[in-house]
Order: sequence, then structure tokens, then C-alpha cells
Amino acid sequence: MRFIRAAVEEVVGLFVGDWTQTVVSVAILALGWFALPRLHIAGLAFVLCLALASQLVADTAAEARRARKT
Amino acid sequence: MYAQLLTFGAAFLGSAVESVEALTIVLAVGLTRGWRAPLYGTVTALVLLGVLVAVFGQLIVARVPELTLKLVIGALLVLFGLRWLHKAVLRSAGVVAMHDEDHAYAQAVRSMQGAVERRDWVGFTLALKGVFLEGLEVVFIVIAVGGTSGGLHIAVAGGLLAMVVVAAAGFIVKRPLARVPENTLKYAVGVVLTSIGTFWAAEGMGAVWPLDFVSLLGLAVLYFAASRAAIAVIRRPVAA
Repeated sequence: MRFIRAAVEEVVGLFVGDWTQTVVSVAILALGWFALPRLHIAGLAFVLCLALASQLVADTAAEARRARKT
Repeated sequence: MYAQLLTFGAAFLGSAVESVEALTIVLAVGLTRGWRAPLYGTVTALVLLGVLVAVFGQLIVARVPELTLKLVIGALLVLFGLRWLHKAVLRSAGVVAMHDEDHAYAQAVRSMQGAVERRDWVGFTLALKGVFLEGLEVVFIVIAVGGTSGGLHIAVAGGLLAMVVVAAAGFIVKRPLARVPENTLKYAVGVVLTSIGTFWAAEGMGAVWPLDFVSLLGLAVLYFAASRAAIAVIRRPVAA
């Protein structure tokens, strides 16, 4: 039973390290899913990448701040 | 040709990183408690992982429409790659300690003190659990990069070769592969997987990339630049 629980935690852990980052990333992807097929603008997909990259900077900086406080 | 190289390279590098971690556990168990039980545990874990790749790989390739596959696997790869990048940024900035195989090895050895019975279930279970759990990441990488690009056999070959190379190196040196630049490798694989994930997820959403596969280079540069920017922001002295 402990082995199965560890395996389930490992599978969830494959995609979720920090819940805030995961929720924001999923929201960005969902927004892209909504906007990309409707707005046929060349290179718009790079905006998706920019948004994901920006949240990486913001989220890691926030975690570093939290780590320094504790 | 380039797509196949990318599939092979991503599967090889991703699998190599995880295989180094699995090897540390097997070595710790084997050198402290004897080799028979951990080797059985390792083989059992590898068989289980092989079954997962065969079942889920074939199921995904044969049943899921291409665009849906790209969207779902691409999104999962983005989450997976960002998690690796997140950790790599924090390690490079000095917020989190670098992963140290020697330290992990010593910790594993400490946790295995005690008498060894003829049938060493502890050794078997520890090796099985370690290899299986570390291997789950390999399974995901292989299915994700192989299944979506239509080159599952190439990804499987990349993953298997990485495991064989790491196992052979471990057999020769008989100690954890602490000199493998694991943190750097994980950083690089994080950039590559996040880029591939974004590329496929956007294609699954109906986007067309300018210059097709060449755009992947642009995505990788962007994610790498963002990670360096994050490290610079974190390292910047805080005003009192």
C-alpha cells in the first residue's frame, strides 16, 4: 500500500512541484487553447512561450524570497 | 532526421539523469547488503517499467488523434519541463542545495543498517522502489517525446542506451557517479523538454510555427534566457 501511495505521489510529482506554478501554467495554456484557434496571428504562439517563461521568472523569484525569509 | 535526433537526444539525456539517481540507490543496497536481492528488485522494476511503456505507448500512439495527443502531451511536457527548470534555477542561484550523489549514497547506506537475512526483502524492496520510482520519469519522457513525434522506438532506444551506459559506468567504478554533471544535465533537459512541450501544445491548439521545427531553437533560447534572468533576479542583493 505504501509502495502504491509513493508511486501515485511520484506520478503527481512529475508535473507538480509548486502548486502555484502549476495552476498559473495551466491557466496560461488554457488561455492559449482558447485564443490561438480564434486569432489567426502569425507568431502568437511565441506569446504563449513568453508568458510561460515570465511566470518561471516570477515564481522562482517568489520562492527564493520565501526561502530567505524562513 | 532532425526530429528523430531530437527525440533520441531528449530521451537519452532525460533517462541518463534519472538512471544516475536509480544507480546510486542500487549501489548503496548492493554494496551494503549483497547483490542478489537488489538485482532481483532492479530487474522486476525494469520489467514493470517496460510493461508501462509498451501498454501506454502503444495505446496512446494507436488510439489518440494526433492533434489531441500533441495538445495533452505538450501541456504535460510543459509542466514537467518547467518543474525541472524551476529546480535548476533555484539550485543555480544557490537557494536549494545541488543534488549530490555521494551525499544521497551515504544517506541510503545509513538507512540500511541492520542484519541481512537469507532472503533479503529489504534489499529487494529498496531497489525495486528506487528504480521503479526514478524510472517513472523515464517512462514519461520516452512516451511523451516518442509517442507524439511518431518515433516511439527511437525514444525507447535512447532511453535504453542511457540506462545501459549508466549501468556499465556504475559496474566499472562501483561507486555513485558523482562526477556526472547531473544538475547541469537536468537544467539542459528542462529547457529542451519545456521547448518541445510548448511547440507541441501550441500545434495541438491549432497554431502553425514559422519555419516549423526551427522554431524550437527560438523557444529553447527564450526559456534559457528566462532561466538566466530568474537566476540574476534571485542573486541580486536585496536592499535593506
